[in-house]
Amino acid sequence: MSALTAIGEVLVLLGTFFYILSALGLIRMPDVYNRMQTATKSATLGSLGVIIGVGIWALGTDFGSAAWLTKTIVIAVFLLLTNPISAHALIRAAYKSGIPLWEGSVVDKYREHIDAKTTETETPEETPEEGGEE
Amino acid sequence: MLKRALAIITLLIIGYWLAQGLAGVPFGEDKMLVGQYYLDNVKEQTGAVNAVTAVVVNYRGFDTLGEVTVLFIASTGVGALLWKRKKERTAETQGSIVLTTGTRLLVPFVMLFGAYIFIHGHLTPGGGFPGGATIATAFLLLYMAFVQYEIPHKAFEKIEGAVGMAYVLVGLIGLAIGGYFLFDWIWQTWSFGTENIGRLISGGFIPIIYTIIGLKVGTELSGIIDNMVKEEVNE
Repeated sequence: MSALTAIGEVLVLLGTFFYILSALGLIRMPDVYNRMQTATKSATLGSLGVIIGVGIWALGTDFGSAAWLTKTIVIAVFLLLTNPISAHALIRAAYKSGIPLWEGSVVDKYREHIDAKTTETETPEETPEEGGEE
Repeated sequence: MLKRALAIITLLIIGYWLAQGLAGVPFGEDKMLVGQYYLDNVKEQTGAVNAVTAVVVNYRGFDTLGEVTVLFIASTGVGALLWKRKKERTAETQGSIVLTTGTRLLVPFVMLFGAYIFIHGHLTPGGGFPGGATIATAFLLLYMAFVQYEIPHKAFEKIEGAVGMAYVLVGLIGLAIGGYFLFDWIWQTWSFGTENIGRLISGGFIPIIYTIIGLKVGTELSGIIDNMVKEEVNE
């Protein structure tokens, strides 16, 4: 077992650990926004760990070549770019469709921003109520 | 309630019946009759490393022509069903700046990857249909992120028809040279790329057919998306 194999295995383990954390966060967190927070961040990090880890792991084995690492890096960069954008779009769509924040939330600057805009232009827009129905 | 219970019972009976039928089929045993022939001869006869695309394009090319026809009819059907004299996009909200910037960055790469899939159909998993669908995904992304975006219709419809004809044309050339429709004349007659099995310039006409199919599927699915997201406008 070479050093590269060991590094790869450690990375894959770390990645799966973050996967578990993100799955736990999905169950544990109180509202959509908190869930998205835990799910996207740790799942992205976990995927990066697993993907890059597999590439490095393959380098250490006798059948591995640099092609593995190249492919995994391409996939990892793609995931790193797309995951936050999709999370952003999901959260924004959730807010726009009126899903309430957690009842323990204290500040909602975005709603204030929208309200300020709507009073300027005199066109009321539907915004989610603060304080959730749990 | 009664309806639902009846439906569940019927489905259970059908499921049990299917499971009984499948229980007689042994799994994990070598049952290949034609499959073994494909696996043994695919490299010499077609030059493709990917046996699936060789079967789909070479051995059973006529079915693929049928599938392409089905897609073309689907696209035409959607166009005919949703035909209106004046159609425009009526989406109200532009995607946020993160989304639009991300789309701008990603779309070329998604298209590049789609082209990669259908060009390498004889080497890697995939082929014309996944590649074309990936390219259509890039256009779907553009439609979703931008309010005003529309595909260039003139070019798309022309490409769609032209590549459809090109597929038939490749088959007809095979008919003229080798005696039957979709005969792989590049591989069998010209022996083009015979020393190159496993590399890009090989595989007979599989890359050519798959480029054709990829372009066709990409433009067709984009056209379907275009028809579906537009709404009629009254003046």
